[in-house]
Amino acid sequence: VSPPEAQTITETQSTRTRATQADAGSGAVPFRPGVLDLGTAGGPSLAGSRCPGCGAHFFPARHVCSGCLTEDLDLVPLSRTGTIYTFTVVRQSTPDFTAPYLLGYVDLPEGVRVLGLLVGLGEGKATIGMTVTLATQPKGTDADGCEIVGYCFRPAEPLGGDDG
Amino acid sequence: MAEVYVIGVGMTRFGKHPDQDSTQLGVTAIRAAIRDAGLDPRRIQAAYCGHVFQGMVTGQRILAQIGLAGLPLANVENACSSGATAIREAYLAIKAGEYDVVLAVGTEHMTTRFKGALTPDPGDIEAAVGLTMPAVYGMRAVRYLADHGVRWEQFAAIPVKNKKNAALNPFSQFQQPVTREAVLSSRPIADPLRLLDCAPVSDGAAAVILAGGQTARSLAGARGIRLAASALRTGEVPVAPGSMSFEPLTAATALDAYERAGIAPADVGFAEVHDCFTIAEALRVEGLGLFEPGSYPAAVERGRG
Repeated sequence: VSPPEAQTITETQSTRTRATQADAGSGAVPFRPGVLDLGTAGGPSLAGSRCPGCGAHFFPARHVCSGCLTEDLDLVPLSRTGTIYTFTVVRQSTPDFTAPYLLGYVDLPEGVRVLGLLVGLGEGKATIGMTVTLATQPKGTDADGCEIVGYCFRPAEPLGGDDG
Repeated sequence: MAEVYVIGVGMTRFGKHPDQDSTQLGVTAIRAAIRDAGLDPRRIQAAYCGHVFQGMVTGQRILAQIGLAGLPLANVENACSSGATAIREAYLAIKAGEYDVVLAVGTEHMTTRFKGALTPDPGDIEAAVGLTMPAVYGMRAVRYLADHGVRWEQFAAIPVKNKKNAALNPFSQFQQPVTREAVLSSRPIADPLRLLDCAPVSDGAAAVILAGGQTARSLAGARGIRLAASALRTGEVPVAPGSMSFEPLTAATALDAYERAGIAPADVGFAEVHDCFTIAEALRVEGLGLFEPGSYPAAVERGRG
């Protein structure tokens, strides 16, 4: 059990983190610190890191480049559009998620593969190589009443049919 | 350097054991291994305990129950490789010349810890996004089928083979053979994986006793089995994302083991392979160099798996 002083410090840091990450307009907070930037121009973006030594990109952001061991990588917003590398329909999950849902790995142009929910796609309509774009989705509210926002991917082009 | 032999093995039946905890399961496995070795337990000099979800000092709890408290012991966690890593640590301790007789035990009580699919560690972002372990392998399967031009129905031969083997094994969880039709009509879990493509949630334990060459010959005579090599690697964080339908990590680790043992894949006559999901079995045996990439499903269909 932490002493009372330590708890106070933790709460203060936590509050500050939320305050700096909250979207000024909506009061929304990312589902996890340092992953999703809601304030970038042109829409939300994933927060990755770029190695100033060799140019490699990573997501989530890392401190050290696994290719050349350069330290202190630059934080950069990643491209919003990528292609589906592979996918699955999860039909049995944990109590935290309601199955079925479509999950996929998306390759971004920076050479980063990101796992995410695929939305706006009817069952059987996901394909390897399909172009998808980053989107956000609500994931409930936190203790302060701020909306928690997660990320997902949806088709870059509207699909035919009535389930897009 | 010292040669290392397996001189005793023991295990519980795998399955649901609501009346026993991981300590009791571990005790059962170790006592069986000691009996199998015909060993005075006081000759055991050190122990390693592999587990993932059983909490602090699991190995110490087990040793206390069998009169071996006080031995040098380390608990090791390496996900699905925890038990194998415990054996490796025991092997290295003997090879280093520090000990002569070492115990390795793995124990897990999963049915009290999981409802539904296993997930990554809650601290991993993948878990927060909705990843389950079956989903990992479902996605690998989708990519494998596309990359190798394989039909998913071919994979049904894998659980048919494994359940046929399990029916002959008194320690296996499910001892009934299954048909191809039953596999392909079982409940969907993470497309294309169905229930019979997935490892069950199990409780169980297994133990081995290892000894240096001279001791092994005096204790076990010709019964000891030489442990020719142990190789361990961990996954990298790739700078560029790689193929998910072949496992370079498995291939590199296998190469380490083959080189140390002085054999080639063609020399392997029998393989017991981690098969948490049917697609995993294909990825592993192909990574091990026992089959060409993409060739395993067809080989199993022909009865050559």
